[in-house]
Amino acid sequence: MMSKKLLIIALFVTMFLSIGFAASNDGQLKFGIDTDAEGFDPNQVTSFGSHRVLENIYESLLQYDQDMNLIPSIAESYETPDPYTVIFKIRENVKFHDGTDLTVEDVLYTFNRIMDPDYGSPAASYFSEVESIKELDGKRVEFKLKVPMVNALLLNFAGVNTSIVSKEFVEAGNNMQLKTNGTGPFVMDEYVAGNYITLKKFDDYYVNNVPKLSSIKFLIIPEEVSRIAALRNGDIDLVKVGEPLSLKMLQNKFTIYRQPTLSYYLIGINCDFGPFKNPLVRRALNYAINRENIIKMVSFGEGSVTGVMNPSVKAWAVQPSEFSEFTYNPKKAKELLAEAGYPNGFEFVITTASKYGFDKVAQVIQAQLSMVGIKATIDIVEWGIFIKKWKEIDFNAFVSLNGGSIEPDKQLYRTISTGGSTNKFNYSKAEVDNLLNEGRSAVDTAERKEIYNELQKILIEDSPIIFLYSPNNLFASQENVKDFAPKSNESLTSLKYVYFE
Amino acid sequence: MKIAYILGRLLSALPTLLILTFFVFISLHLVPGDVVDIMLGTQNYLSEEQVQDLYKEYGLDQPLIVQYVNWLKKIITFDLGTSLRTGDSVSRIISEKFPVTFELALISLIFSLIIGIPFGMISAVKRNKLPDYTFRVLGLIGLSAPAFWIGAIFIVIISSLFPDYLLFGYVPFSQDPLSNIQVMLIPAITLGLMIAAQVMRMSRNSMLDVLSQDYVKVAKAKGLKNKKVIFKHALRNALVPVVTTAGIQFGYLIGGTILIEKMFALPGMGRHLLQAVTQRDYPVVQGIVTFIGVMIVILNILVDILYSFIDPRIELK
Repeated sequence: MMSKKLLIIALFVTMFLSIGFAASNDGQLKFGIDTDAEGFDPNQVTSFGSHRVLENIYESLLQYDQDMNLIPSIAESYETPDPYTVIFKIRENVKFHDGTDLTVEDVLYTFNRIMDPDYGSPAASYFSEVESIKELDGKRVEFKLKVPMVNALLLNFAGVNTSIVSKEFVEAGNNMQLKTNGTGPFVMDEYVAGNYITLKKFDDYYVNNVPKLSSIKFLIIPEEVSRIAALRNGDIDLVKVGEPLSLKMLQNKFTIYRQPTLSYYLIGINCDFGPFKNPLVRRALNYAINRENIIKMVSFGEGSVTGVMNPSVKAWAVQPSEFSEFTYNPKKAKELLAEAGYPNGFEFVITTASKYGFDKVAQVIQAQLSMVGIKATIDIVEWGIFIKKWKEIDFNAFVSLNGGSIEPDKQLYRTISTGGSTNKFNYSKAEVDNLLNEGRSAVDTAERKEIYNELQKILIEDSPIIFLYSPNNLFASQENVKDFAPKSNESLTSLKYVYFE
Repeated sequence: MKIAYILGRLLSALPTLLILTFFVFISLHLVPGDVVDIMLGTQNYLSEEQVQDLYKEYGLDQPLIVQYVNWLKKIITFDLGTSLRTGDSVSRIISEKFPVTFELALISLIFSLIIGIPFGMISAVKRNKLPDYTFRVLGLIGLSAPAFWIGAIFIVIISSLFPDYLLFGYVPFSQDPLSNIQVMLIPAITLGLMIAAQVMRMSRNSMLDVLSQDYVKVAKAKGLKNKKVIFKHALRNALVPVVTTAGIQFGYLIGGTILIEKMFALPGMGRHLLQAVTQRDYPVVQGIVTFIGVMIVILNILVDILYSFIDPRIELK
């Protein structure tokens, strides 16, 4: 009888112990994300989901620190002896995940691959002005440009699309879309499309004590409700929060992370459409819109007003507070409209899609514009149709979200130069084109700053784009997750420092 | 004889399948925004030349009819092509995701039968009495309440009352049967409730029909106890149309799990189809739709064969 009781007690103890073990996370971080990866070739893919995973597997010559400064990565150091040249010194003790050493050969191979027209890398256009790439004394790589724009080029050496790949691995015929071989802190372990991606720690990473986690499991949960519930349930440790409203379900017991992004909501204006031909009308829109109100109504306060450059990019941004256009002033708006010949306002259509809250932003704007006599109707179309209309400039105005950059040339060139690939505003001004070209070739930072200051002033005056605000990037985690820090370019490379308390 | 019947049915389904695939093909291509547009989004980072190269690579520079015929040529050899977005083979995508959808549909069906048939039968037997009214009202709610609403309510209730219940994180049955069932249960019940309402109505009507038949009246007149009449005679006959309804419902389920898969983060075929349509991933959409079409055809054939077994009066032609 006694031994039977002991047996039962032992059984219960074992059960409870095993539950305890099952509850421990073995150093694996379960991360709920909303988009799946689409392919794993770092020099080729553009999908947001792919980038968030690949940036932990691969590395480039440079990287960003938490304040978005460019710092060395695979390159141990670099120098720009003249505006046409940049020389990178390649780090020596870096290994690929398959155990082979990274050499200058791999760097050369990677950039040739990127610039190969038959390969079709999205990064190729950034290196179109490269005249030559060569190796110097076995440890350094020199890039020479056809035009003096090395400063505007530097940031392209950071980011997933210029990740260094192994020449041997690629030439062996491996399908880079399916198999990975990077130098980063994590190695691809398992990928089940639409379900999850697991990465495990790379033991031979060249930085000591990094990463701290033994593995990361990205769980793909597209529906916001489901993802938040998974965190509350304890099924996952960290989650991307898509809607600010979800934060209300995550009070106490959870750590909230908010980081202003570089992306920005905007109203894109077709400068060939009726009333919008007149820059006074476009300027008037600025005064008629209450940006703080939009942030409150659409993003529940999770965002900040932005100008031509993101205010957090202190090196280049003219702060919105320096422009009267960023202060809500319906009286001034009506004055400008009257001056332009529209004392009783006018009508136009806002084309948008129901993604990322575009339609909500449009609704708030519609209400605000009606207060100054402008009647806006909202045309919400399916995402693919929206892109088509955007491409063909088949709209009066649109509401969308653009990606931003810390580099003014990248932020502006294609968007406002005459015929620029993302200039969908029918906007063309010789003065702007000149300033853009001067800005990218100027060497002296002070000189560049003057040029881009001037450019920002002109853009606010002309307003082919009404800059609205930058939303906050939101994440939430269990309280035992430490040192997670999203960056304003939405990069998740801080995952290598994350640990469980 | 049966083989000839099956072959005959399959062949006669071919024109329907052809029309289906053609219609889907044309609609998806005619909708504004193609796969390249969506890939580039509003960031447009490729040069015009690179874009044209992409179109050529995907075979999208050919006239539509040529593209469709090319696709037909491939499908005859059971080659469903590859995804334009991920390069993955479409057949592999289907073979990976269909089991999830199938399992969801199956558990939903089983649940709907377990709830629907007894409730329907009781409703019929206790016609116009309280149980009947109650079940009919419940059935109406089940039919009218949207699945995503019911699903959302379930998610909130379960995660609040049972925080340890595994709601998300699909695990294949082969890997961990218990977790698999746990994860599939709530979505299956959500989907099953709607089907249960239909099954209940069908069962009720069928049972009422049978109960009014002469042989039932004769059995009662002969003195057989009511219970025996119902369970031994009426039930079997009443179940026949229910079986066929269930079979057809299952076919619709295979194609109709999209919403539930999305809500509960289940990596099924429906969710993937929705994503493919949004991305205009033409081969994937064509492949999955064709697969669903073929599944439904096969299911209908199976149901008819099953029907002929149950009811000896039915002859397959």
